[in-house]
Amino acid sequence: MRSSGVGGAVILLAAISANAQRPVDPDEFLHLEPVLQRAIATAAPFVVTIETFGGTRRTLGADGPVDGDGPPRPRPAPKAKPEPAPDGEPQPDAPKPDDAPDEKPKPKLPLVPEGFQQTRGRTTGVVLTSDGWILVSRFALNFDPTTVLVVVPGRGTFHAERAGEDTSRGIALVKIDAEGLPVATFVPPDEVRVGQWAFALGRTFAADEPTVHIGIVSAKNRLFGRALQIDAYTSPANYGGAVVDVHGRVLGIAVPLSPSGRNAGVEWYDSGIGFAVTIADIRDLLARMQQGHVLQRGWLGVQLELAHLGPGAKIAGTPKDGAAARAHLRKGDVIVAVDGVEVQNGPHFQMLVSSRLGGDRVTLTVLKKGAGERLTLPPIELLDTPWSEQAQDKSADLPASFPLPEKQEGR
Amino acid sequence: MRALFVVVLLAAALSAQTADFGKAYSFAERRPKTRVEVAIDRVLPSIVKVHGASGLATINAYATGIVVSTRGHILTLDQIMIQKGRTRVVLYDGSVHDALLLPGDAELGVRLLKIDPSEVQGELQPLWPPEPERAAFRTGQFVVSVGNSFRLAEFSEKVSATFGVVVGRANTALRYRMADVDYDGDLILTDACNNPGQFGGGLFTLDGTWIGLNLRLLDSKETNTMLSAAIPTRDLLPYLDEYVLGKRRQQPVVEKTPAWTGVVLFEQAGRQSPPAYVERVRPDSPAAKLGLRPDDLIVRLDDYSVRSCVEFRDVLARFSAGQTIKVTWKRGTRVLDGDLLLAEEPR
Repeated sequence: MRSSGVGGAVILLAAISANAQRPVDPDEFLHLEPVLQRAIATAAPFVVTIETFGGTRRTLGADGPVDGDGPPRPRPAPKAKPEPAPDGEPQPDAPKPDDAPDEKPKPKLPLVPEGFQQTRGRTTGVVLTSDGWILVSRFALNFDPTTVLVVVPGRGTFHAERAGEDTSRGIALVKIDAEGLPVATFVPPDEVRVGQWAFALGRTFAADEPTVHIGIVSAKNRLFGRALQIDAYTSPANYGGAVVDVHGRVLGIAVPLSPSGRNAGVEWYDSGIGFAVTIADIRDLLARMQQGHVLQRGWLGVQLELAHLGPGAKIAGTPKDGAAARAHLRKGDVIVAVDGVEVQNGPHFQMLVSSRLGGDRVTLTVLKKGAGERLTLPPIELLDTPWSEQAQDKSADLPASFPLPEKQEGR
Repeated sequence: MRALFVVVLLAAALSAQTADFGKAYSFAERRPKTRVEVAIDRVLPSIVKVHGASGLATINAYATGIVVSTRGHILTLDQIMIQKGRTRVVLYDGSVHDALLLPGDAELGVRLLKIDPSEVQGELQPLWPPEPERAAFRTGQFVVSVGNSFRLAEFSEKVSATFGVVVGRANTALRYRMADVDYDGDLILTDACNNPGQFGGGLFTLDGTWIGLNLRLLDSKETNTMLSAAIPTRDLLPYLDEYVLGKRRQQPVVEKTPAWTGVVLFEQAGRQSPPAYVERVRPDSPAAKLGLRPDDLIVRLDDYSVRSCVEFRDVLARFSAGQTIKVTWKRGTRVLDGDLLLAEEPR
């Protein structure tokens, strides 16, 4: 005991003396201020404003699709419970139990997204090519607007034609008729380091000046390799905007992408959890989007048996319209490999397939129920994720929240 | 041995605390190290706590104020809790003073309070507003916001300082649907949060320059998000000049006559106002002279976005006949604009 204390003291002293050799400048962090302003100046020219007009499409609310644009509907008031009188004294304000009309269970009001309701404010976009391809947040198009305008700083307002989108990433492409636009530089995601500075730019409050929120890269490879996680504030005021590094290069595009996908995915706005979809690694997808393709998360259509802890992922059911059902996968089959990669367990299987889009092919190796041999199936083409699947809470699909099997009695 | 060491440390810490707590310590005792500390130390003696009246559970009866003269002038945000005979000011040293109410400025939404300087021990330390060019701000600038968040500071306890950056400038036209702001000019947006009680406090650069007066947390109707904002100090100068220095302001009297463009919009009955498509243009009207035609979509009046027929009327009501505004419209896939001289509607 004693020796360890002495050892600790020695280490402590060593640490102190090391500190003494390298004096800390407490104002050192102020160097960030000019760095930040240079990054803003570099990135500002390719950060543009998006304005939308018209459109009536229903957007996704907490209780499934709701009309995002109706008049504000009443929210259920929290029921105020009268405090029980401390010693049986009748309270003057408390309703008497006899004439209490609230006893009947009220019909549940058919409401209404709790919390956030999308409005038609401006959003932000980023210039992808000098000839007028603009990356925007899918959020900006939630109402399916009839007119989209792009305001390029110093260049004026342009009519934009919508092209394709990637709903799994929450981004879309629009095209304006312009030339010689300043173009964003995108950082490949494998060069991004967790902890590096991330500045989220938007252009919604002033035409001549962007807005900025500062933070760091919190994590990489979020949402199955699609996005960086950042702690700079993101909100409808900067969705679609560029998240840039200290050099003004684009790490990603800020989008609402909370995994449950409810409330248009914005329920985590301003919470210190933001997402920036990486762009440098999806050039091929952008090319498909330029041709007008709508890319969606791929849907294999298997439900997994949670009690099966591996190896492999055991199928608990296959919805009849799914790709898995068409490939004759059945309850009780165990998927043991995806594209040659051995599946360790259910969450691992989720990770292997969730990065895919509709139309992608996967080759599964399965252990059919009752059969002793592994069988490699012909490639299965994933379907687009159906609306009903998107609408439900997807948190259970995430590896991080994969529910553990319940303990059974007697084990 | 070790135990004794801990006791000594504890005692030292306690004595340091009791020495600090409850005593209006003098400013010179502190030795600020970093620029942020220097800035905070420089401005703190000029920040006061404002306590007022409130009969409503939803309204906090506390705010922050800024000393702007040695004669007892204190600037704060005008609000319902500021009431005659019921407003008190707690100075940096913990002393409590009854405050008189000077005329507020309805356009800025601010009000000066006045305390009796003869009741103040020592000298008041006013933060006299800096020169307008010094009070300039820019996006990405580091700032400190100072105010009594959530009434955490009582008596001589010091108000809270929060660090942040200037998020940007909110242009009048691009933010006019924000709720809860009387002021009609540009605002400073910041990520140093304006918690309840912080309003009326100040936003400062790291050299202690006062650049803004904190507003309440704002609800943006544009984006359905909450924002922290401040009125630029330079915009407060005319009001302060008038009531602190006694310089009379020339207030231009603007008479507004309802403006008329000659455009008839395509409006449907329904719960949602459609985009501002032109249905007809009255002959010889300003819109006809500009060349607007049926099926054009009006998207902007000056810098104000017009996303619906209702917004078109809202925005037009901000202007007066005789003014020239820039109109932006979309025809097919082209976006056009031009100046339009607003007229009075002919009888």
